[in-house]
Amino acid sequence: MAAVSVAGEWQLLYNRFYRKLTIYSMEWGRIDLSRHRVAAAPFGGPVAAIRDDSKIVQLYAESARRKLLIFNAAGCPLASAVWDRPGGRLVGMAWTDDQVLVCVVQDGTVYRYNVHAELCAPQFSMGKECFEQGVVECVFWGNGMICITEGFQIFCVPDFKNPVPCKLADPGIEEYPLCLAVIEPQYTMSGNVEVLLGVGDHVLVVEEDGVQQLGVGVGPFQKMAVSQNGKYLATFTHDGRLLVILTDFSRIIFEYTCESSLPPEQIAWCGLDSVLLYWDEKELLMVGPNGNPVSYLYDEPIRLIPECDGVRILSNSSMEFLQRVPDSTVSIFQVGSTLPAALLYDALEHFDKRSAKADENLRLIRSSLAEAVEACIDAAGHEYDLSRQRTLLRAASYGRAFCSQFPRDHFQEMCKILRVLNAVRNHEIGIPLSIQQYKLLTPPVLIGRLINANHHLVALRISEYLGLSPEVVIMHWASAKITASPAIQDTALLDILLDKLRLCKGISYAAIAAHADSCGRRKLAAMIVEHEPRSSKQVPLLLSIEEEDSALVKAIDSGDTDLVYLVLFHVWQKKPALDFFGTINARPLARDLFITYSRFYKHEFLKDFFLSTGRLQDVGFLLLKESWKLEKNPMASKGSPLHGPRIRLIEQAQKLFSETKEHNFESKAAEEHAKLLRLQHNLEVSTKQAIFVDSSISDTIRTCIVLGNHREAMRVRTEFKVSEKRWYWLKAFALATVRDWDALEKFSKEKRPPGGYKPFVEACIDADEKAEAIKYIPKLTEPRERSEAYARIGMAKEAADAASQAKDSGELFSRIKLTLGQNAAASSIFDTLRDRLSFQGVY
Amino acid sequence: MAQIPSLDNAHLNLASLREQSQKELLNILKNIRGKKCLVIDPKLGGSLSLLIQTSLLKENGAELRHLSAEPVETECTRILYLVRPQINLMKFISSNIQNDLSKGVQREYFLYFVPRRTVVCEKIFEEEKVHHLLTIGEYPFYLLPLDEDVLSFELDLAYKECFVDGDTSSLWHIAKAIHKLEFSSGVIPNVRAKGKASTKVTEILNSLQVEEPINSADMGIPEINTLILLDREVDMVTPMCFQLTYEGLLDEILQINNGSVEIDSTVMGGGQQDGKKIKVPLNSSDKLYKEIRDLNFEVVVQVLRQKATSIQQDYAEVKSTSQSVSELKDFVKKLNSLPEIARHVNLAQHLQSFTCKPSFHARLDIEQTLLELQNYEICFEYIEEMIHKQEPLVNVLRLLESKSNWLAIARALQLIVEDTDTANPNDISYIFSGYAPLSIRLVQHAIRSGWRSIEEIMKLLPGPHVDLKRSVSNSSSSQDANPVFQSNLDRIADGRRSLALVIFIGGITFAEIAALRFLSSQEGTGYDFIVATTKMVNGTTILETLMTNNS
Repeated sequence: MAAVSVAGEWQLLYNRFYRKLTIYSMEWGRIDLSRHRVAAAPFGGPVAAIRDDSKIVQLYAESARRKLLIFNAAGCPLASAVWDRPGGRLVGMAWTDDQVLVCVVQDGTVYRYNVHAELCAPQFSMGKECFEQGVVECVFWGNGMICITEGFQIFCVPDFKNPVPCKLADPGIEEYPLCLAVIEPQYTMSGNVEVLLGVGDHVLVVEEDGVQQLGVGVGPFQKMAVSQNGKYLATFTHDGRLLVILTDFSRIIFEYTCESSLPPEQIAWCGLDSVLLYWDEKELLMVGPNGNPVSYLYDEPIRLIPECDGVRILSNSSMEFLQRVPDSTVSIFQVGSTLPAALLYDALEHFDKRSAKADENLRLIRSSLAEAVEACIDAAGHEYDLSRQRTLLRAASYGRAFCSQFPRDHFQEMCKILRVLNAVRNHEIGIPLSIQQYKLLTPPVLIGRLINANHHLVALRISEYLGLSPEVVIMHWASAKITASPAIQDTALLDILLDKLRLCKGISYAAIAAHADSCGRRKLAAMIVEHEPRSSKQVPLLLSIEEEDSALVKAIDSGDTDLVYLVLFHVWQKKPALDFFGTINARPLARDLFITYSRFYKHEFLKDFFLSTGRLQDVGFLLLKESWKLEKNPMASKGSPLHGPRIRLIEQAQKLFSETKEHNFESKAAEEHAKLLRLQHNLEVSTKQAIFVDSSISDTIRTCIVLGNHREAMRVRTEFKVSEKRWYWLKAFALATVRDWDALEKFSKEKRPPGGYKPFVEACIDADEKAEAIKYIPKLTEPRERSEAYARIGMAKEAADAASQAKDSGELFSRIKLTLGQNAAASSIFDTLRDRLSFQGVY
Repeated sequence: MAQIPSLDNAHLNLASLREQSQKELLNILKNIRGKKCLVIDPKLGGSLSLLIQTSLLKENGAELRHLSAEPVETECTRILYLVRPQINLMKFISSNIQNDLSKGVQREYFLYFVPRRTVVCEKIFEEEKVHHLLTIGEYPFYLLPLDEDVLSFELDLAYKECFVDGDTSSLWHIAKAIHKLEFSSGVIPNVRAKGKASTKVTEILNSLQVEEPINSADMGIPEINTLILLDREVDMVTPMCFQLTYEGLLDEILQINNGSVEIDSTVMGGGQQDGKKIKVPLNSSDKLYKEIRDLNFEVVVQVLRQKATSIQQDYAEVKSTSQSVSELKDFVKKLNSLPEIARHVNLAQHLQSFTCKPSFHARLDIEQTLLELQNYEICFEYIEEMIHKQEPLVNVLRLLESKSNWLAIARALQLIVEDTDTANPNDISYIFSGYAPLSIRLVQHAIRSGWRSIEEIMKLLPGPHVDLKRSVSNSSSSQDANPVFQSNLDRIADGRRSLALVIFIGGITFAEIAALRFLSSQEGTGYDFIVATTKMVNGTTILETLMTNNS
């Protein structure tokens, strides 16, 4: 029976089954692990190898120069590069979570490579102390690393994305530690990494700000490994015991005494259930909390690669995966299993053989059919073997036919996952993910890894298949295509690119154009960026490829003034002033923005601009503005204002205005302004009162009259050709202000006022002097005006009389009534209202 | 009563909009550890007073200061500037920092731009060599709810910047604000715009949709059916007219700032402390105010009189006869509205002291004459007289604003309406006692039948106009609407009222808002309105922004 042969390959560790599957036979020729330093990335990632220079090895038919070799997990070569990095021996090498290969050499220099064996980020140093003392050993996790120097100091890079080395507390030891391990930051209290050092008979926990001693007397420890969840520590003691301890050393979980006290070469966790110990080219021992360990024999060197759900075992010839057999698989294939899933699987076999026993089996498990189907689907997910996946899914499908309420999507979902897993497990791609690893890794990350390895087509298919946006894939493809096609002409390459880019809405053409530019293909970049719909992305790129004119046009079109300013300052900095002026003068928005900015900040430069574009009048306005600024600045009016800077500025402005034809008014106004200022200054000197400067002509006249200086008032009047009418208004009000009623009367009798007596009436009413007003009201010619004036001083009868003389008196009457009436009536209404409300005491 | 208006009755979820802005502001404060000095530019401070209580800011360790050229006086070592991206403000900040440097004061400077950082402002810091000292961030605050149906972009200089300086930054701001709003309310399917700035905003809005598409597929039916954009320039006449609604009059005479007026405490019947100013909040949280704000002032006086009289009668009855408990209860309930009545009686009386002046009537007369274009000479004479009397320049300028083609437009759109009954109005012309504001007539046409029917008139008004349907699906051709969806929309329009967002670029007056509210209350309109404006304005404030020299 098939089921028997499946279970026959399992090993029993106490009460749990383990299986060791051979996933690939390695296709890397004569690579010998014993002669190489090897770094294999988790999640079925690539393997990097460099010939080990700490060992004396015999060279076969190979170059004496060492090479960095990169393979996929099936041993297919991906890339290689000569390893000639200075800085001494290679002391550490590992892949980060982002699949960057980090290589640390003796002097503390850190090099970073991508899967194509290209340096992908700038090298950096772990610091002066590392350089001086020399780095001995490194321990890596996720995206971080610690290293220890010959002076027993520990340095840490918490995250390679932002590689800033920091020093941990001095452990204060005099001997090199027996072994090292780290607890990842995500599992520590402090959120920072904790380094475990096996020293003497105990462990030192070293953190950024302190050292702590743990497990005194339990050791000495020869080897250590921290479990995937950071909770347990597996250690091998000097007397040959394997101890599994909580990482805070509060409890020993179990203890196993090995036959030999020789420390193993490698120690690793297999899931969370067992610990693997490997002695060089001899034995791999799997130890669990209970029962006898399982032993595997190897006659070739191996590397243990811990995964979240097992351990991959890499040897010269094969890649194996050792894991605990999943429960669903056990339920189906365990010898003698009578669980529903096993019976369902069996039923399918009978069905295929057209045996009636199929039906019998089904009837037996009728009540738990759904559970059996679920188990078959789950077990299929854990299989690497295609035909067994198929058989298990068929079993599930067979059972589902009799199980109407079983959710369809579980089955479909599993089929999808398996198609993806099988695709990437293909040895050419060589990513042997288990279903659990795949779920932990997530599809987008997997797609990211595929495109980094240039498997764009598979990546695109997978994203489409899973309904993810193909944007990432297409972006990466386009960039890679540009890099890889230096021989293809710009237009041809553009067509190739556009063809694919069109597949994806909202893709960033600007980013691809930027890449083209960085590959030295500026023309291609310009052609690509033309297709970018987002101006905020397009404009900066156009600037970076020196397409300023086009950038300015696009920025203006976008309506985003911020972009226009961006271009403006860029061009301003780059071009000589005259060119710059020419560029912006042709575009109103750019010009206006420039003027706005310069008004605030670059006055002199703005003057240059106006002069160079022939806008003399605008220079004139600027000068006027400067003169007003001086007005606000009290310091400026010190000294002699007559020849002071203000008047000089105004005169300059006047000159500029007069040079243009269309600005006669401005020219005249500036001239008079200067004249007025001078005159006002003289007045201030003669009256010794600083109240004239910067008032209007009207105000100046009024002030003069109020001060009783009628001669000066007259002079201002003639100087500035103030009209008679205006003169009467001004003088009448001024006299009323000082309440010089005699003078007012005299003034009214000088001659017949040119605009009538209205100014006199208004002035008196304004000053609240009824008696005076009455003198002039009868002299108003219009009965309407008379009537209104009477009304305003509350003389109802006279108002009515006057109104009756007016032509259309009806309307006037009612209005007068309103004016008179509203006062009394309205206020009385409100007064009573207020009285009524006040009983409340609200206010 | 709170100055921050309640938004519970809004037709759009403005409350969540405001909460979002509050949260973002508090997060900025929280992200800067410890005590800090929050320095706000004064205009923005006014806006924020309608967004968040200052006590909340203080609870988050912020000490408040206003930004000015003077150095910041504080013990704090962390200074957080919250400013709009205006060049003159950047100069203040630079000089603040340089002052600290010269005194050897070491501080951390955080600068948050509202609503976004700009190249031109950062340029100033580079020139002043303080850029490296600043940690710069953005506070994307684009839209401030002033009331349950009024939003403001708080761009008080927009009109001047766009039409005088040619700086169209505010148009981008407006488009961005609409776009942001659309992320929660859905893409607005119908857009009508009149004027240069408005059509430009429409263009920018479309390109923003390309840059950051709103996926309307999963949003359902858009909450706002129509977007109407108008340039203030299209109708400069209306804001120049003296507003005669209660709210309009309050603004004209006492200036409503950030939803409240500041007046002498004596006006409000307060004690004898002279010169002490108090703030009176004015928004729809005050039920009485909500009822009377949009009425013609004449009517308001009557309404208030009625209310007071009825209370007085009740009071008399309470005193005289024994009454049932339920009657007493009713009376007590009425008493609750007393403070509101008292408040508005005080305000109205204060206003009346202005409106009963003859000069006020003379001015209204002239305005009416100007609008009817009957006799230019009288008008000029009047204006000349004003100049002679040396009245404030602003008043003179307000009257001088006149318009060509006015007569044709006024006739075609029936702007001058004889026989208006201000107490029981049936047309928006009640707002100005006989003049229907041009701007609102345009809105009325826009929602009724689109502008195609008045194409000829539209051509007489300044600036181009557009009338477009935006595709709600994500297809590339944005001009053709999806027919299925369209019929869907129409069906919904039958069932319930639609919502129109009316945006005034360059400001709106309270009187115009009143007209819109009146319009939506009329049977057959079928639309509710939400108004968004660059700033609340009246004729005086419009001219003031044009006159000020803000260097």
